[in-house]
Amino acid sequence: MSRIDFTFHRHTLENGLRVVVAPDASRPVVAVNLWYGVGSRNERRGRTGFAHLFEHMMFQGSAHVPKNQHFELVERAGGSLNASTWFDRTNYFETLPSHHLDLALWLESDRMGWMVQAMTQEKLDNQRDVVKNEKRERYDNRPYGDWQERLQRMVWPEDHPYRHTVIGSMEDLDAATLEDVADFFNTFYVPNNAVLTVAGDVDPDDALRRVEHWFGEIHRGAAVPELPGDTAASIPMSAPVVDEVEADVPLPRVMMGFRIPAYTDPGFAALEVAGSVLGAGRASRLYRNLVRTGVARDAFSYPFPLVSGASILLVGVTGFPESDPGELAEAVRHQLRGLVQVEESEVARGLALEEARLVRALEGLGERADRISMSTMLFDRPERITEELEDLRAVSLADVHDAADRFLATENHATLLYRPNEATA
Amino acid sequence: MSGANRTTPPKAGPLRDFAFPTVVRSRLDTGLAVDVVPIHHLPVATAFLVIPAGEDTLSEERAGIAVLAGDALEGGTRRRSGVELAEALETIGADLDVGTGWNATTVSLSCLADRLDEALGLLGEMVLEPAFPEAEVARTRGQHLARIQQRSMDPGALASDRAAREIYAPGEPYGRPLLGSLESVADMGRDSLIGFAESYYRPEGGGLVVAGDVDPDEVRALAAGIFGGWEGAPPVRSSPKGVARSLERRIVVVDRPGSVQSELRMGHPGAPRNVPRYESLVVATAVLGGTFSSRLNLNLREKHGFTYGVRSRIAYRRGPGPFSVVTAVDTAVTARAVQEAVGEMERYVRDGPTKEEVASARDYLAGIFPLRLETTGQVAARVAELRVYDLPDDTWAGHRERIRAVTRRAATEAAREHIRPGELAITVVGDAAAVVPELEGLDLGPVEVHTP
Repeated sequence: MSRIDFTFHRHTLENGLRVVVAPDASRPVVAVNLWYGVGSRNERRGRTGFAHLFEHMMFQGSAHVPKNQHFELVERAGGSLNASTWFDRTNYFETLPSHHLDLALWLESDRMGWMVQAMTQEKLDNQRDVVKNEKRERYDNRPYGDWQERLQRMVWPEDHPYRHTVIGSMEDLDAATLEDVADFFNTFYVPNNAVLTVAGDVDPDDALRRVEHWFGEIHRGAAVPELPGDTAASIPMSAPVVDEVEADVPLPRVMMGFRIPAYTDPGFAALEVAGSVLGAGRASRLYRNLVRTGVARDAFSYPFPLVSGASILLVGVTGFPESDPGELAEAVRHQLRGLVQVEESEVARGLALEEARLVRALEGLGERADRISMSTMLFDRPERITEELEDLRAVSLADVHDAADRFLATENHATLLYRPNEATA
Repeated sequence: MSGANRTTPPKAGPLRDFAFPTVVRSRLDTGLAVDVVPIHHLPVATAFLVIPAGEDTLSEERAGIAVLAGDALEGGTRRRSGVELAEALETIGADLDVGTGWNATTVSLSCLADRLDEALGLLGEMVLEPAFPEAEVARTRGQHLARIQQRSMDPGALASDRAAREIYAPGEPYGRPLLGSLESVADMGRDSLIGFAESYYRPEGGGLVVAGDVDPDEVRALAAGIFGGWEGAPPVRSSPKGVARSLERRIVVVDRPGSVQSELRMGHPGAPRNVPRYESLVVATAVLGGTFSSRLNLNLREKHGFTYGVRSRIAYRRGPGPFSVVTAVDTAVTARAVQEAVGEMERYVRDGPTKEEVASARDYLAGIFPLRLETTGQVAARVAELRVYDLPDDTWAGHRERIRAVTRRAATEAAREHIRPGELAITVVGDAAAVVPELEGLDLGPVEVHTP
């Protein structure tokens, strides 16, 4: 039997960049992953969607890299690459044949150090159009596409950094200027606000030397400013919020959000297990009691790993054409109330599923590197990519009951109901 | 400190060796191929059971039954109810999934390696002894019908389904939705599923692939124990011919008033997976629309900002799956996007890819190949493909070298043979009132307007 056995080599450059090298010579591949501690939560009023638009601008070239060269060079090297923006962070990643490590480090360091010089109005206008089409394609022109926007407004109080979506609004995207790009870059894209992971077929000393070579001369930035708005949201919510929308959707659907402790809170593990008992797998409560019985077409639940003060656990259940959304929601709430009394065997199944999924998630170097960056940025411990399992194993039946009792079986919910409109039903 | 020289891309180090993982092959007496790929990075295992029971051999009246039968397998076995089956799998942390496509039904299993014995036993029980209980079949059928309904309201899915219908001649399986229709599925009950499984779930022509932290001898013995008594062959099947509906380029608009975007599909019948000189065609399609830096994406996204992204691809199947350009564009620029895309295709076929483009695509495809073999699931999927498409055992061992050997001339010939801009069925799902006048003005072919 193989064992799960990773080694990590850590180093912090003088400019504050935290570096983790995780060698694995099992195949000639290397993953380079950068987490910047900036996401939609850092956006100021009137600039929603900017962190994501900025992520697009990061591919438009830097002082020594012409527009589109980033993709072209990595693809030419036989690598894959992308980036994503979320509430708390933005990540950039390349996976390449390992003899191309320098290429990824050169590209990432050039845009970390010298991106603004290459920005033009034309590039901004072009990517603004691309992002607006991303919004149309993924949200506006898709059934249920507005659920996140609606639910976030219901779960989070006015002024909370999680109250708006990552994609933002068309008006705010229109308002973004080149000056915003430069400000954002100088404020957040500083080495002291980032974690760099190099995982794969590398020699740790050699890799650290190369990282130092490419990133060492980038200047440290000022400390990142406090989050705008107010992250103080009471957990749980003081009263439920319910909204029903009639929309061009094929089937009734219920989306519920629960305010729960942050991912970094010790209480989070119990909610992960509770979420698993509720909605992971076909032996879970929602599948067994709602899907298998023909009440719902599908169902899921999982907590988001958010870190700014609180997080959210999401439950989604889709009905059939004849379902009444209100009754569907009541059926879901009934399942939630049932979570205060679950069996030991359900917890064991939830754990077994989580364990297998976690180990499998570490198979690919790209995903492994991303988890290392996350664990380092949020917990200052790359080892947590496997230790997370220990946290889950330590969850007792009483912990699950307690978590369900406090956060899921109560009035702590925002419930969004989709009712197909007359014309489409 | 001394600054790094940033002015040019750094030189690559020496290329490191890569070989496709060793596949230990064997066959049970009953015809089931058993391929084992030992990979010992992590204590995990993935198993694929490929059954030659795809949608592509079914008549229109039975369309959807392979998918429905596959989905209904979780309903239980002769020994266990659906709930008990799910509990047994999840207690050992096993993820089991049934995927049914045009070519085959694939049951995939992934678990920690020390749980493979039990998990594979459950997989075998599910496929060899399905019970298809009445209530579970009714429930699964209800979900299936809801999915069909849901597709008709999702612009992207609607566009893809409509495009297939416009690309292929009536009666061609690839021209209909994979899930079948509300009519074909409505009457499928327990008896039809039992009949389907009885006749199609047979080992001949199929295979078991296990990749991961396992011993080949042990897996073979395990497979013999579970599948040793499973016999027979599914009905003889020929591959779909993939005849085109029309050889004339034309535009079909499906009206969704008020759409903020138009979903575009431009295609015609492509090539089967076992097409001669497959690698030349893969290079040719990569240059046109297979990468971020492709001609189509650089034009429609990076130059014009019409879209979040555009891809062109051939959906390789046993028969000629569709070649298609897939994108979604801002309503206001729909006609311009169509014009640009057709223009790119015409230029591409006329002049062929440049030497530089072919070299880039070759490097990309040769380099990305090992990167997509990182997980036991990815490796098992590749090995399973050999069974699905009846490809030679050494297909993957020689893949990188054949990609590297593609010349500009070979890629140009492949492009001219398989990409035919004059025969495109152009499907647009969007606001007809807003897009039709300009589409008519393009003079690319007749424009028809339909309601969904």
